[in-house]
Amino acid sequence: MSMIEFRLNGKPVAFDGNPLKRLLDVLRDDFGITGTKEGCGEGECGACSVLKDGKLVTSCIIPVGAVGGCEIVTIEGLRETEQGKCLVESFAEGGAVQCGFCIPGMVMAAEAILLKNPHPSEADVRLAISGNICRCTGYDLIVESILLASRKGEGLW
Amino acid sequence: MVKSFIPQSLEEALKIRAEEHAIPLAGGSDLMVQHRKGTGVVPEFSSPIMIITGLNELKGIRTEDDGTVVIGALTTSAEIAESEMVPFFVRKAASLMGAISLRNSATIGGNIGNASPKGDLPQPLILLDASVVLKSISGERTILLDDFIKGSKKTELRDDEIITEIRIPKAEWTYGYYRKIGTRKANAISKLSLSALILAEDGVIKDFRVSSGAAGPKVARSRANEEKLIGKSISEIEGLKADILDTHDTVISPHAMPEWRRNTTRRMLDHFLSEVASGAPAGIIE
Repeated sequence: MSMIEFRLNGKPVAFDGNPLKRLLDVLRDDFGITGTKEGCGEGECGACSVLKDGKLVTSCIIPVGAVGGCEIVTIEGLRETEQGKCLVESFAEGGAVQCGFCIPGMVMAAEAILLKNPHPSEADVRLAISGNICRCTGYDLIVESILLASRKGEGLW
Repeated sequence: MVKSFIPQSLEEALKIRAEEHAIPLAGGSDLMVQHRKGTGVVPEFSSPIMIITGLNELKGIRTEDDGTVVIGALTTSAEIAESEMVPFFVRKAASLMGAISLRNSATIGGNIGNASPKGDLPQPLILLDASVVLKSISGERTILLDDFIKGSKKTELRDDEIITEIRIPKAEWTYGYYRKIGTRKANAISKLSLSALILAEDGVIKDFRVSSGAAGPKVARSRANEEKLIGKSISEIEGLKADILDTHDTVISPHAMPEWRRNTTRRMLDHFLSEVASGAPAGIIE
């Protein structure tokens, strides 16, 4: 089996192993980046959300063999970007985080909606995170924080 | 460990399909979940798998001269939901599948090939008399989706074939209805769904169709029942309605919560027919 080559957080990477291994496990075990979390493992809870070619996907239902040639961005990939810093600041300022387990996925969902629509309405934001489950916050502070990011990050997306 | 393949072209995929009978993995949203083994463990499959997610030849939506809409098998639900070429019923169903991340992965070919009674897309596609195009190294055939899906998880797909396209003939309608019932608004598996359409000209019904999803092993439609309204006038709907509701009830065969499914299916179809009969404006009946 040939190597599976793709871009991970802006850098070219190659995976030499079983193409049916879940992208989630490849990220965490093979590349050692553990920001992406496993919640349900069924593509239902959004904790393992990453961007694949700019689109939000759940990495637990994608075999690594399906991402050859793709651009994958994880929460680690947002660490140094202006958009990422703005989201982190806004989530902190807005009090969006309680236990934090869902937050990497929430931030990726926020990045996905802001890439598509830099000025979302509250309803747009609620729809954008409707596949991301949080058992602590009741969502309101997360929604407010994403709206805060869209205001503070004017021109970034 | 089963063999796995990542074909780089449809031609290569057809060859692998013929030689190894490898099962095509499209978006992964069904197969990866059905075969998962847990954290850090590679999903376990009993047959060879070929990951065809990246085959661009099977992606995209186009309209032919006669109005037929052709959707590539690897087109995602998100792409279908966003396309203005796709008829209302199918677009609406695609837009209500799972959540955003699922719609970015799940494909129309996968939803059909998986043939779950709860699959969202077959129901409106069967309403519209859609067909599937099946390719193999020895040729190509096109069959009605209603014939392709034989029952729960059972299809006519041969072990050397791949679903390449879904063809939706142009359908004209004056009144349209689509309703999916899930346990919540987003991210829900269908508990029950129903599509219906009526084409009326000068108060005369030229076409009437109704299909039910998640109400039996496969999508339920009865042409004989539909024909009872064709050629009749809108004002005759009230008188014919009870018989049509009773007959549709015999067409569905829910095995779980049958009373609720029967009652709710009846209420949805009753609502659609009553709205049309009482002079609702043309368009989508909410």
